Amino acid sequence: MKKKTFAIFVGPSVFMMVLFIAAPLLSILWLSVHVTQPVYEQVEVEICTPGLLGSVCSTELKTRPLLDESGRILTQTTFVGLQSYRNVIEPEKLRSAIANGSWRELMNIRFWSALRFTLVFTILTLPLVLGTGLLIALAVNNTLQRIKGPVIFVSLLPFIITPVIGALSIRWLFIGDGILTAGLEWWLDRDIAMFAQAWTIELMMYMYRVWHVAPFAFVVFYAGLQTVNNDAVEAAIIDGASRWQRLRYVIIPHLMPLVIFLTLIHLMDAYRVFEEIVGFSASAYVISLQWLTYEFLLQDGTGARAISRASASAILTMIGVAVLLGLPLRRVWRERKGS
Amino acid sequence: MSSAALRQPMSLKVLSNGFLAFWCIVAAFPIAWIAVMSFKTPIDAFDSNPFRVIFGPHTRTNIGGLSLIDILLGLALAGMLVRQAIRWLPGKVAEYTPNGRTGISWLVGGGAYTLVSLVLLVVVLPAVLGVLNPVLGPLGTSIVGLTTEHYEAVWIDRGFTRNFANSMIVTSGVVLVSLTVGTLAGYGLARSDSVIAFWLLVVALVFRALPHSVLVAGYLPYFITSAEWLAPIFGDAAPTLYGKPWAIIAVLVAINQPFTIWMLRSFFQNIPAELDEAARVDGCSHFGAFRRVIVPVMWPGVITTGLFSFLLAYNDFLVTSLLLDAQNMTMVPAIANMFNRETTASDEVQAIAAAVSITAPLFVLVLVFQRQIVSGLTAGAVKG
Amino acid sequence: MKPRHILLAGAMAMSASMAFADCTNTVPVKTISNAFPAYEIMTGVMAGCGNVESELDKDHRLKIVDAFSANPSLYSMTSLTNSTSVPMIDADLLRPLDDLIATHGSSLNPNQFIEIDGKTMAIAAFANTQHLMYREDIFSDLGIAVPTTWDEYIAAAEKIPAAGVVDYPIGHYMKDGWNLAFVFVNHFLGEGGEFFNADWTPSINNEKGVTVLERMAKLATLMDPEYLVSDTTFVTKQMQQGKIAMANLWASRAGAVNDPAESSVSGKVVMAAGLRGSERIASTIWWDGWAIAKNISDEEAAAAMKLIVASMAEDVIQANNDDAIWLAKGFVPGAAAKGAFDTAAGDAVPYPMNKYIGSMHSALGSGLAAFMTGDKDAAATLADIEAAYVSDAKEKGLLK
Repeated sequence: MKKKTFAIFVGPSVFMMVLFIAAPLLSILWLSVHVTQPVYEQVEVEICTPGLLGSVCSTELKTRPLLDESGRILTQTTFVGLQSYRNVIEPEKLRSAIANGSWRELMNIRFWSALRFTLVFTILTLPLVLGTGLLIALAVNNTLQRIKGPVIFVSLLPFIITPVIGALSIRWLFIGDGILTAGLEWWLDRDIAMFAQAWTIELMMYMYRVWHVAPFAFVVFYAGLQTVNNDAVEAAIIDGASRWQRLRYVIIPHLMPLVIFLTLIHLMDAYRVFEEIVGFSASAYVISLQWLTYEFLLQDGTGARAISRASASAILTMIGVAVLLGLPLRRVWRERKGS
Repeated sequence: MSSAALRQPMSLKVLSNGFLAFWCIVAAFPIAWIAVMSFKTPIDAFDSNPFRVIFGPHTRTNIGGLSLIDILLGLALAGMLVRQAIRWLPGKVAEYTPNGRTGISWLVGGGAYTLVSLVLLVVVLPAVLGVLNPVLGPLGTSIVGLTTEHYEAVWIDRGFTRNFANSMIVTSGVVLVSLTVGTLAGYGLARSDSVIAFWLLVVALVFRALPHSVLVAGYLPYFITSAEWLAPIFGDAAPTLYGKPWAIIAVLVAINQPFTIWMLRSFFQNIPAELDEAARVDGCSHFGAFRRVIVPVMWPGVITTGLFSFLLAYNDFLVTSLLLDAQNMTMVPAIANMFNRETTASDEVQAIAAAVSITAPLFVLVLVFQRQIVSGLTAGAVKG
Repeated sequence: MKPRHILLAGAMAMSASMAFADCTNTVPVKTISNAFPAYEIMTGVMAGCGNVESELDKDHRLKIVDAFSANPSLYSMTSLTNSTSVPMIDADLLRPLDDLIATHGSSLNPNQFIEIDGKTMAIAAFANTQHLMYREDIFSDLGIAVPTTWDEYIAAAEKIPAAGVVDYPIGHYMKDGWNLAFVFVNHFLGEGGEFFNADWTPSINNEKGVTVLERMAKLATLMDPEYLVSDTTFVTKQMQQGKIAMANLWASRAGAVNDPAESSVSGKVVMAAGLRGSERIASTIWWDGWAIAKNISDEEAAAAMKLIVASMAEDVIQANNDDAIWLAKGFVPGAAAKGAFDTAAGDAVPYPMNKYIGSMHSALGSGLAAFMTGDKDAAATLADIEAAYVSDAKEKGLLK
């Protein structure tokens, strides 16, 4: 295909991505090495606010920003290099934690504990999602023809349901004396509080993610199973291969490209884990990298936000994803070279 | 293929179907449970005894409920409708489909079917039961508490219909634009083996990995002040992007583009290049070849990709909650708004009712397009 | 329909029929506000006057600064509180209202005005605070006196399990983040603490800070162990379901705990004043009200002012008396408002209106959980929070 035709075909798509993804990305990069601050002055003001019984007045020394001639807040921007990154990863504390060999001390630094959770979450849920998806696909493929339709329908539900609502519905089952917690209490005959310690919350988040994403893996694998080469399976049967051997040596190699595809998608999505933290109110016990970014970005009560640290934390998250994606992508690259 | 060699031992059958049954319960239970909660008064809905939630004694005494005959007839009708949707509808749609435009005829057919089902369930059935119940004595007395007041509150008092319409506008916009732009790009990428094409795909992959909260917070100030910074280009007609559904559509299309072009590229790669080359030999340009040869055979892959775009747009929370104003708010942020700082228990049950309401269209969608999802994926959209 | 909707419909019906013949509005006005019931009522009245578009959004504070910086402003008016007023006033985005009040606002209560250097920048509609709510039946069964200080509260809580009626003696909004930090802020003020030194460097890592943390840990042992996810709604529900015997809760929830449609203990919960620390009542007073944009035309501003006045007319307040602790004329404090009034009559202070407390509140919000879960001791927690505050305030240019 000629360069020009290619450009016309791809142009609109690239234009939208540049405008709405690449441009903001560049500005994030710029923001992460700069700090923009209003220029403040100290003034004494008298403030009266309503009480229930009468106005409450006081004189306070207030810090307020200077305004320029057009009435906007006067700001100054300075280049700070990697200072914001240092503020996020806190290298001094990291060094002292390593020097003391204290895991606990390391986990008290927010960035590192967020990184710990994000990595464990990503890596632990990956085989669970792939395994559950494959099992469901095999089971559906094996079952009676006439119930396949309804089973596929039910299986897809957790995937299509709005994530915010899915997380909330699971939360309602467990929070306080939600019915599943009540059921567990009745069964084990002891008082259980699922939201009172880190490991139960983490467990619920893993379960939720597998519940939510496994159907996608299932439907992809199921589609893959429809294209398994029957000749190869028959040849294997003639060779006397057992059911397990057929799965291991014929079907799984056939599904391997799908495993890579799902792995890529899962690594990207799981590394951004965020909805679970919100949905399960987990932030007291565990936080993720995107939560950390979000927390910096969140305005405090008076409207200020830590844009520089948020940008730095976002860039660090991206670098993490790029590293994680490196492995499966190398394979894709080699195959391209090979073909 | 010799079926004897593939016949499964009983133990494997039991194990595999048992696992499937277990999975189906796990998959459906949370959704079924919030559906049950949405029909009860707050006192019943948040009770820790599951039987009180199901049977709703407080709801029954204070508002009313369903009798045995209501439940039986209702289930029978619903079962029949679903059965027909799976068995009868696909045939009918295929019969009336003009020259391969399955997507559109499915939309029309599915929509009409949903409408008829709703009328049967909501209007006809209650009318019939209203006559039957008093006559039937013990069968007709209510045993399960049920109230639709939360649905009424959501759809009538809170004007959820407007949110529904907004969701439809944004979702259909995203699906249409995303597919148009993505199909072109996917085809271009599939037919090009230049280094640029490869790196474009890799970069798109990295873009897909970006944390959305950062992107979206970056848009907000520009969207609000757009009338000022667009003024040099558009003059007085410069629009304020904030709150405009089409601006949201553009953002969601862009965010979804990496996934779309990856899916479609792999799909087009499985359409033999010889096809369009043959057309080009016959004197067609690249576009001509695309239109005449590729377009007619691309629908399975496009429908599958379109479904994923639909899910993304319909379920989006982050972008829509921050960049849309109340008049144009879609359903998901509208529900989130119901859980605000001053939420009361009734608000929460209303939010649950709303949550169940927005899940219903997704149900219909999957019911109708289930085959297309699998066949589209089988046809190659996931082979790369 | 819910009672509230009936009231709302009532207020709107009235607006159409009688009281607001003079509120007819011809200039298009757009409002943005929080989504409290009280705002639903007020914007409902405004809608009855015509040409008003209202946006009720609990995340409105994320938008208003940018939206009001635009010229013309995207909204004519916004709801405002102690803390959201700070960035708006700093960026000079609000219109001084004194002339408009002189022409249109004769029916307002002077107590409603927020004045900065003698200029009225906002008009409060209702107030909010936190105070004690307790189960009268349990207290009289066990013969417990109504506590007035946090120490008495804890002592009372320790006696409550004897009644065997409730799962946990108390509930408290200690959800990680803003709520948990807010508990600390209130208690620290109750101990007479000053958050900052004269140069705005932090001063919470001291005896008072440790006292507060120890008290919070003590309270945690008397609560549902899931307290770190319990926000105000959760505590309200615990109260409604009869799972707790008392709570120090937002006054705006006083109506809900006794609402027969939602509460299985309605009528048994009684309100009392906020509880004292060693110096003063450990509650803060909040106001909630309206302000008008600077970047709009004079006609639009006048129309907005007339709408604000109409939305707080005496008959509106009377028709919705128990939905908020109104500051406008016509409000008659009922049993639900008693706790709030007793708190205000004591020595509770307003939540501070400055930028530093915003930064401190955030630092507390992300730093306190480590102490509650036992990952850090009190001194280390407070030291880390001070460090987080300094780093945040430096990035925002508040500290050198």
